[in-house]
Amino acid sequence: MAGEYKYSEEELVLCLQRRDQKAFSYLYDNYAGALNGIICRMVEEPQLAEDILQEAFVKIWNNFSQYDSSKGRLFTWMINLTRNLTIDTLRSKGYKKQQKISKDENSVSNYHDKNYGADKFDTLGLRKQVANLKPEQKSIIDLAYFNGYTQEEISKEMGIPLGTVKTRMRSAIMELRKMLEYN
Amino acid sequence: MEIKEIISSGLLELYVLGMANENEIAELNALAAKHPEIAAEIEAIESGLEKYARLYSVEPAVSAKEKIFSEINNSSSQINYTEPAAKVVSMSYWKYAAAAAILLLIGSIVLNIVYYNKYDAANKNYEAAVSEKKNAADQLAALEESNKEMKNDMGVIQSKYSEPVALHGLAAAPDAAAKIFWMKNTTHEVYIDPSNLPDPPAGKQYQFWGIVDGKAVDGGLIVITKKGDKYRIQKMKNFGNAQAFAVTLEPAGGMPQPTGDMYVMGKL
Repeated sequence: MAGEYKYSEEELVLCLQRRDQKAFSYLYDNYAGALNGIICRMVEEPQLAEDILQEAFVKIWNNFSQYDSSKGRLFTWMINLTRNLTIDTLRSKGYKKQQKISKDENSVSNYHDKNYGADKFDTLGLRKQVANLKPEQKSIIDLAYFNGYTQEEISKEMGIPLGTVKTRMRSAIMELRKMLEYN
Repeated sequence: MEIKEIISSGLLELYVLGMANENEIAELNALAAKHPEIAAEIEAIESGLEKYARLYSVEPAVSAKEKIFSEINNSSSQINYTEPAAKVVSMSYWKYAAAAAILLLIGSIVLNIVYYNKYDAANKNYEAAVSEKKNAADQLAALEESNKEMKNDMGVIQSKYSEPVALHGLAAAPDAAAKIFWMKNTTHEVYIDPSNLPDPPAGKQYQFWGIVDGKAVDGGLIVITKKGDKYRIQKMKNFGNAQAFAVTLEPAGGMPQPTGDMYVMGKL
């Protein structure tokens, strides 16, 4: 991808609204890895994960008019769309979220070794830093962000009161942001 | 105060993670639009989580991208598409549309003037052509008529049954002359060629007579169709028998007996 035009997020959104397939290609090249990472956290079968990724990008293309940049970043919209699609797909196939996710939680380290998509910054160094997060802080972020748990599910899974999920989430993400701030 | 409380509540994090309920989402959309601090904090949370997600990127299969593009280029997957860019550019779209409409209007007016002038000129040409054609047709009709009369005249003269009788000028008009063509042995029709009679004065007409047994018998008025026209050979009344023919100048309408000067006369 050397020498490829680098879109700003505003340009990318405008081009995608105008059905520019070059921009869509750029979007794929820059975001497919991250979105695929989410899917692979939740889905074990590689073929099913690939199908979901394809469906997610087709949905992003077809429903792009629904994206409202005043309500958040493009990536946030895409990751929410992808996460919901993955959960719906798993549910329709009879998977139970809890079972899959506890398994994934145990196998998160596997993905670290498989990962070769995040070439934009010092992935390895940052991962080491993120590893310094308290386990319960990493868990609460991962369960919500990567696995789409609800507050109730997190409360149950982590054995914490429902009322504290919000504040725990706040402090965990604050900590994460501090670690990633200068990168 | 309130803004800080909102920021530190953890609600913004839930919002970014897609965990907020509908009421909270609507409330935060409104707050973010009103308070830049809240919008900035949401942006920072999003940005941090995006970086975090990128740490766990997994490169998809090489075939995936191709499959996605072949699917979005499949027409069936584009049915629901409505042009979103139209909203963004609608102002300039209408401006361009208005400018285009005005240009079209001006162009139309100019063309109207040009074409009206052309139409007017063409119409005049057409009228002139129609009138010329009518003149030509009239002339042709007149020629045909005259040709027909000539043929009749020639028919009379050339007929082998016509017996010519020359009428000679008398004292009133020594230079006058006329010719009679008499179908003596067939139909007894009598024709006169009056072209060598002088023009009759106003109110007068030439009358033709047959002299039968010493008496003048009316042979009819010689018709003058138009002032200045040459008289044509014309058919007169039949006489059963006649010894001579004569032409007199009579008051217009003719007389039962000759009263005026005798201009020409010829004996058989």
